[in-house]
Amino acid sequence: MTNAMRQKLAREPFEEKIRKVSQLIRLSKAASQKKMARAGQERRSAGSSNMAGLPQ
Amino acid sequence: MNAKDQFSAIPMGEIFRGANELVAEGLIKSWALGGALAGVYYTEPVATYDADIFFIPADKSVSAGIPAIYGHLQARGWAVEGEHLIVQGFPVQLLGADGLTEEAVRAAADIEFEGVPGRVFLAEYIVAIAASVGRAKDRARIEQMLGQSEIDQGHLNAILKRHNLNLPKL
Repeated sequence: MTNAMRQKLAREPFEEKIRKVSQLIRLSKAASQKKMARAGQERRSAGSSNMAGLPQ
Repeated sequence: MNAKDQFSAIPMGEIFRGANELVAEGLIKSWALGGALAGVYYTEPVATYDADIFFIPADKSVSAGIPAIYGHLQARGWAVEGEHLIVQGFPVQLLGADGLTEEAVRAAADIEFEGVPGRVFLAEYIVAIAASVGRAKDRARIEQMLGQSEIDQGHLNAILKRHNLNLPKL
């Protein structure tokens, strides 16, 4: 983002900027939930492959 | 469900109303929005996970009237979760003002959010407080404030001098 764009954003009304911060928070929460779900899935699949290696 | 999971938008109007009510009830003397969201008042939007409300307590005892303040806000539907109050899924931190932050509350600018009156730290105090804290995110805030907001350099220098602070090398 250029400096001119940042300056333009800085001059927006506070209400509009808070709406944009809310949007950033929602996006960041969705990204972290996706990341956690992926990590959980990887742990589960790693666990099941270990199980396969256990002696009967 | 966790109270924070109910988040859909920052309830700034409700935060301002709650803080104004504390003044009206005589539980605090004054308050102002500080931290990252105060910075956003002057700069481009940046993500933050809570709102910092600095207040001058009416009660000068060690507890600063916190039990009565929390009780009042809980009766408004705000939830307590650790060190935060959760308002419509968004964390709010109430911080007793002292020294530099007390001066910042006293000097805060009157603003409005969707018609609700509120108060926000002046840009010069946001920079000085960030200089006093000095974490990486505070240095980033100083850089952003100096680049995007209209700082009264004389006022900033006077605050820095009064509190024996220096701006970090950016």
